[in-house]
Amino acid sequence: MSTDTLTPVRPAGPRRVRRGRGSTRRVLGSPLGVVVLVATLWFAAAFLVLPNVTLLQATFAPDGRLSLSAFERLLSSERALRSLGHSVLLAATLAVTVNVVGVFIVLVTGWFRVRARRVLWLGYATTFVYGGIVLAAGYSFIYGRYGFVTNALARWYPDLDRDWFSGFVAVVLVMTFATTTNHMLFLSAALAGIDAQSVEAARLMGASPTTVLRRVVLPSLRPMIFAVTVLTFLTGLGALTAPLVLGGRDFQTVAPMILTFARSESSRDVAALLAILLGLATIVLLALMNRVERGGTYFAVAKVATPITPQPFRTRWGAVLVQVLAWLLWVVYVVPVLCAVVFSFVDPRAVMAGSIGLGDLTLEHWVTVLTDAGALAPFVVSVVYSGLASVVVVLAMVLVARLLSRWRSWMASALEYVLHLPWILPTILIALGLVMTFDRPRLLVAQQVLTGTVVLLGVAYVVVKIPFTLRLLKAAFAAVPDEVDDAARILGAGQLTTVRRVVVPFIAPTMAAVAALNFTSLLDDYDAAVFLYHPLFEPLGIAIKQSTEGESAVQSMGITFVYTVLLMVVQGLVLWAVYRRRPAGTARG
Amino acid sequence: MERRIGLGLRQPAALLLAGTVLAALTACGGGAAAPEGEGAPADGGPLVVYTNSNSDGRGEWVTEQAAEAGFDIEIVGLGGADLTNRIIAEVNNPVGDVVYGLNTMYFEQLKAEQAITAHEPTWSGEVPQEAGDPVDGAYWPLVDQAIVMAYDSARVTDVPTDVSQLWSDPRFQGRYEVNTSLGQATPQLVVAGILAPYTDEQGQVSDEGWAAVEAYFANGNPAVEGTDLYARFDRAEVDYGVIPSGSVFSRDEEYGTQTAVVPSASGVPYVTEQIGIIAGTDQEQRAAEFIDWFGSAEVQGAFAQEFDAMPVNEVAAEQANPEVVELVGSVQRADIDYAVVREHIGEWVERIELEYLP
Repeated sequence: MSTDTLTPVRPAGPRRVRRGRGSTRRVLGSPLGVVVLVATLWFAAAFLVLPNVTLLQATFAPDGRLSLSAFERLLSSERALRSLGHSVLLAATLAVTVNVVGVFIVLVTGWFRVRARRVLWLGYATTFVYGGIVLAAGYSFIYGRYGFVTNALARWYPDLDRDWFSGFVAVVLVMTFATTTNHMLFLSAALAGIDAQSVEAARLMGASPTTVLRRVVLPSLRPMIFAVTVLTFLTGLGALTAPLVLGGRDFQTVAPMILTFARSESSRDVAALLAILLGLATIVLLALMNRVERGGTYFAVAKVATPITPQPFRTRWGAVLVQVLAWLLWVVYVVPVLCAVVFSFVDPRAVMAGSIGLGDLTLEHWVTVLTDAGALAPFVVSVVYSGLASVVVVLAMVLVARLLSRWRSWMASALEYVLHLPWILPTILIALGLVMTFDRPRLLVAQQVLTGTVVLLGVAYVVVKIPFTLRLLKAAFAAVPDEVDDAARILGAGQLTTVRRVVVPFIAPTMAAVAALNFTSLLDDYDAAVFLYHPLFEPLGIAIKQSTEGESAVQSMGITFVYTVLLMVVQGLVLWAVYRRRPAGTARG
Repeated sequence: MERRIGLGLRQPAALLLAGTVLAALTACGGGAAAPEGEGAPADGGPLVVYTNSNSDGRGEWVTEQAAEAGFDIEIVGLGGADLTNRIIAEVNNPVGDVVYGLNTMYFEQLKAEQAITAHEPTWSGEVPQEAGDPVDGAYWPLVDQAIVMAYDSARVTDVPTDVSQLWSDPRFQGRYEVNTSLGQATPQLVVAGILAPYTDEQGQVSDEGWAAVEAYFANGNPAVEGTDLYARFDRAEVDYGVIPSGSVFSRDEEYGTQTAVVPSASGVPYVTEQIGIIAGTDQEQRAAEFIDWFGSAEVQGAFAQEFDAMPVNEVAAEQANPEVVELVGSVQRADIDYAVVREHIGEWVERIELEYLP
């Protein structure tokens, strides 16, 4: 029965009892369990399975006959296979590099005694407000052909190849520093939940700081590290902007190809096939992680609110090394964001030329955006859609994750995989599937036609955020001791009360972080909105695309930066709302 | 003390936020009630106009002018390929009433999917039949643009005598930009233009045709995401690049360039922006009236003056900017069968993506 034999330093936390047979009866014995199960099954059937099956059917068997020519077409293309390989390679590399950097910044801001931790934290948290545009523009104007770092380097070494910052290494570097958000939010929360007393106990027993880290802290973080590794892997597979801008000829990934093919009816089967191949890679990883997660759940989670205290360094060298690294990283993180802010006030011609003088400053783009009569409406529409969708999906997934974490049977596993379906297909195909499925009355949605209504975009947003939300909430549930749950019920609390009063407080930080991340990522969505938005409610992604797609290319670049900064402001406000009370991820929510 | 100050600041902010969201919600809820269920209401309600040609203030201009003429329209602006896909996906329950701005290739696609319905506008006599859909009259032409290979004549002097030299002569290797975003309309038309002389009536492309396309992409300089062609001219990264004729004048103004066009013996592809009624709209009468108004010589002429466009409407063309007329007239229209292109462009793009792109 004991599953926590992986570490000799036994954490003080509670032991998790593995649920075995009879859990199905137990789960279905409670009214809440039945309601959640039925609702989940209905939603999954109506909005996950039906649209995707409709789409895949229309794609692979347009005339009712299955055609698998997509396989041949794909397999005979060297370029497609190479791009596919690049995507998987990138994902696997990032799974390592992002973990290294991510764990480092989490420890720097949450574990070590480092000066100005809050400033560091703010710097690292800038990834939260990074968009593809910041990535593309920021990095290429810093390190690109005419970027100022390149210009400066060229001054010292005139023979410098101006394309020095491109290819695999450049893409990995940029994406590594741009995708540590999940670590900052979720790993920090997990670190904050570690029991200070078990750390103290380990130290009193003579463990060195390295041993404490290796034997107590990191093992307790494992469920969350697994969860964010899956996310990182997915980010790598779906990488679009960074390889396009920085990959050069030798390192292009498969995502742009999928997007092109998804938009063409005759090639949609190849797009779906490529997406499914990437999905298979994800499923293999997911299955591996699930196995490890189940094999040994062990952790040291505080039951009493003793926040961990920052740990001093033992050697001077260690302190210097960590601090220098931390601040170097900080600069790498902050500069692209600062650039975007500055660029929004600068004549884009100066930006492109790579040298900005005082005379190039202008408010023109801000005036253009802010005085546009319709400028505010898309913001409101997107804030409402993203806000509603992210709250709904988080609340629903809390119940589902609880159901899944207490119910161990093949049905639960199957349901869990179905809920991960939206990770396999690109958003654009999910949106197309929804439009094509609900353009006629469907029994599953009470004979309503949903295409052309305001509802469908909201549904799409909920759908695309389900896997991410479920994944992280499931990891967070690992931190809820069953004993607390059981105690509440023995004391007479109903199921809902138990969730509301006992379970939610444990996972509130993760819930808030997931909701915030969902919100910011949906805010400037284009792929789903393009097929689903209601003509009278134009969302932000569409508005941005439109205002930047004008003929005046120079003007449009400035406007892009203004929108980028506005987005960063909104996203920053959300981050502030979530984290205002918890300095640097040390206190518990 | 500090905590209290913090709280004092926080609560109004939170209230404000909640209030905004609530207000927004009620606003959306109220608006949502009407269109839900059966699409746009039959009576009143704005005419939903789908277009890919609303950037640079064109959408606002059309909305304003339409309002003056008594049309309440709502513009939905999306990129060409996305817009076409959306209309086809919505074919069983259309949201839009009118679509304009898409090129002939996309309109052929809409026609094949029965997503548009025929209507002969009052101005049908003022446009050449072959510019639209001479067979069924399902869609009608508004604006013409030539897709030209441009260069800055103030900087570049060594100009090929024919555009195909760019990819056959090593002198020009890497000196011309190729757009590899083959999901977009313009790159697709460029491909259609290169392949046109090598394509038979069934859409079969000869090996020479594929060799030409391969050479075109292999010797070109791929476009840089987020960097404008003229910005690359400016830095002398490339000397030649493809651009629609309608965009030339604003670029010259912005970058101080003097655009000239590389000659092409087999002609250049033209984009003809068309207009049509979306099939199944419940405002078909109103949509037809809008088309009669929008395509008329008066409106198209004013539009041409405002946005340096080249109207297809022969009466309206008299009001167009003479420089525009001259530029569009200086190149020859390539002989492209858009019905064939429409049928095969998907597989062509796929083959190029899978085999020829760098």
